[in-house]
Amino acid sequence: MKDPKRNLIGLVFGAMFGGVLAAGSLHEYDTIHNMLRLDKFYVFGFMGSAIAIATLGLGILESRNTKTSLGGIISLQRSDINASHIRGGVIFGSGWAIAGTCPAPVLVMLSSGAMLSLVVIAGIFVGLAIADSKGSSTFGDGEHRITEDESLVV
Amino acid sequence: MTIGIALGAILPQQVSWYILGPILGAVTIGFFRVMNQPLGASGAYVHTKNLVLRTGHKTTWRVWYFVGLAMGGFIVTQFLQDSQGFRKGFDAFRNAAPLWLVIPTIFFGGILIGYGAKLGGGCTSGHGICGTAQRSKSSIAATITFMTSAVVTTGLVRLISGGKL
Repeated sequence: MKDPKRNLIGLVFGAMFGGVLAAGSLHEYDTIHNMLRLDKFYVFGFMGSAIAIATLGLGILESRNTKTSLGGIISLQRSDINASHIRGGVIFGSGWAIAGTCPAPVLVMLSSGAMLSLVVIAGIFVGLAIADSKGSSTFGDGEHRITEDESLVV
Repeated sequence: MTIGIALGAILPQQVSWYILGPILGAVTIGFFRVMNQPLGASGAYVHTKNLVLRTGHKTTWRVWYFVGLAMGGFIVTQFLQDSQGFRKGFDAFRNAAPLWLVIPTIFFGGILIGYGAKLGGGCTSGHGICGTAQRSKSSIAATITFMTSAVVTTGLVRLISGGKL
């Protein structure tokens, strides 16, 4: 509410991200399950090419010290590895395999009309709340800036 | 029953990965170019939860991002693809197991996803795409770990289900 411009940007980029996932049927259990069974290359190709293009583009932005529209000079974040990245990764990966979906695609699954997605979404919120209650308060390089602009926090 | 008024299936049910992957990469770059921020989905869950419960740290644009993910999915699946309408989902899983088993299992899976993403600092979009593309050591390690864990777990699921999954 405080910052309508950033809110609109969040909505539009969310819609683009969700739209791309939907166009690839990444919201279907079967798509993820077939990938993790190593039966189909599709999702590996999808993620691999997304990472390759993004790595290249972010590298160019960084090398030119690009000034971003709303966030100052581009600054990429590169934290060191600690045990929680590995422990969390093992747990997250097993949940991903069991549910056949993950946090972004499951929202697309819901809007595609598949109602069992609500069960997984509820589970994700419960899991986050359990982790919160154990004092796990930080997020990594892909989630938000450690130095996220405090003026945006309400 | 269709939800949206189908404009006709403009898009196939699955567009080729070599078209969509680069587009997703470009969306990631675009967001950094505008906001100087990564686009992780599990972070958006945390901010949404905090907004609803009125506790802790929340950034409203991340809540709009959460809404946007569902909205983009709605536009594509209901208007641009052949809409599948209301259904249960999890087809392969439901073919292999009864519903009373599927529901608690995917709920448990969801808890592991939420707990693991919070503990590990991110999920498939956060660590897997945004973090790895920043060449972050922690994100690369987390991504390799959850990929390996997911493939191994899927193997176990296959074993337990007697090859049905």
